[in-house]
Amino acid sequence: MFAAAGMAAVVLLPQDISGPVRLDVPVAVDAAPVTLTPDTSTRVPGPTSPAAHSPRLPASDPVRVRIPALGVTSRIMHLGLERDGSMEVPPGAYPVGWYDRSPTPGQLGPAVLAGHVDWEGEPGAFYGLRELRVADIVVIDRADGTVATFRVDRVEEHPKDDFPTKDVYGDIDHAGLRLITCGGAFDEDTGDYLDNVIVFASLTATG
Amino acid sequence: MNRITRAAITVPVVGLTALLASAGPAAAAEGSAQADLTPVPVNPVNASGRGEVEISGTTLSFSLAAQGLLAGAPHAAHIHFGESARNECPTASDNNAAPLPGESDPHEHFTTTEGAPAYGEIVVSLTTTGDTSPSSGLAVDRFPVGDHFEYSRGDVQVSEEVAQAILSGKAVVVIHGVDYDGDGTYSAGDRGVSDLDPSLPGEATDPALCGVLNASQVSTQPVGAVAAGDGSSSADGGSALPYVLGGLGLTAAGGAAFAARRSSRATA
Repeated sequence: MFAAAGMAAVVLLPQDISGPVRLDVPVAVDAAPVTLTPDTSTRVPGPTSPAAHSPRLPASDPVRVRIPALGVTSRIMHLGLERDGSMEVPPGAYPVGWYDRSPTPGQLGPAVLAGHVDWEGEPGAFYGLRELRVADIVVIDRADGTVATFRVDRVEEHPKDDFPTKDVYGDIDHAGLRLITCGGAFDEDTGDYLDNVIVFASLTATG
Repeated sequence: MNRITRAAITVPVVGLTALLASAGPAAAAEGSAQADLTPVPVNPVNASGRGEVEISGTTLSFSLAAQGLLAGAPHAAHIHFGESARNECPTASDNNAAPLPGESDPHEHFTTTEGAPAYGEIVVSLTTTGDTSPSSGLAVDRFPVGDHFEYSRGDVQVSEEVAQAILSGKAVVVIHGVDYDGDGTYSAGDRGVSDLDPSLPGEATDPALCGVLNASQVSTQPVGAVAAGDGSSSADGGSALPYVLGGLGLTAAGGAAFAARRSSRATA
């Protein structure tokens, strides 16, 4: 409420100077969040979003992920795209990979990590992902020495032929994290799992 | 293993796949951005639109759609950017220039020039065919026509600076053409001649719709699901095999050899 009043004052001042004809132009109000958001590279989707002041960090590559509830710690490598447009995956059970065309963990938007559920007979870094519960934490150590702590919002399992692309990769109004691995039944014919397990988490603390 | 094999095979054919600029070690601009287009303040426009662009290096592809603009008339459309511009759409307070020739009240008409401090200069002309440089900014015979259009192109070349500006959320899409007097055509009327080209009515070049190109947080969305398991903890191994085969088009012999190696390592 207080913030809204302040924004109105900021907008009305120049309008008053330039003439009364502009007072009834509603579009001018839209300019307020822009002037109040100095970092235009991290625009939030909605000016009235409750998450506009949620924590976030500047860009810095992730170097290590810890999931205390699973007893998992892994180094993090970069992942790009395969030539068919799908995401690369790590070359083994470890490490976990960060999709480097997603935000770095702690930045505004969905940072994406992928790890194997299994590899050559051994459990992968994300073997236990589906066991995560709401409010479990995922800790990311970053190259700049900062630590981003995420809280699990939900754990979902989706058939691979119905992957929720928009939910996973679409723009969001907070610093989010997506942990992706395989799940469901293993299809001997395709040589692949039928599902993806996806953990959705949000940045809660930085240090 | 998977990764090493893939890299070794990929190297010779990189040149064949200009689609993925990620092959180079340098961070080539790559990503996408979208703009929801809304009426420019002051001007009598009841329309909306959307622009989407994808950048790969210095190649830009775009799609542009709008509805509600003046029917039967061409609508010049551009991507604007300025190093010293505010990199946003103009507000009503930008409408404070001196009266234009033939303009009875400076506040009745919002001109393209008045918007420049907000969105900068033309950096791409979103023409339907031919040249897309700023010099085609008023090529009214090569812009979309009508009150409802949608078109796309994939062959636009831009500078690295422009590519970076777009992916940094600093570029702005503007569509022009405002029928102030409602006579159904671009006419001089009260508005007078264009501030950009005196051979055109101001109605033809004044801005109608505007939207900032916001870069997607995930610059390139991967296609499909994620192949993050080889099945070795659930059944016989080898999940990566068809994935690799499909992606690289290995020869049957090579694939078979690869399959044999994979199978030999599989454990239950």
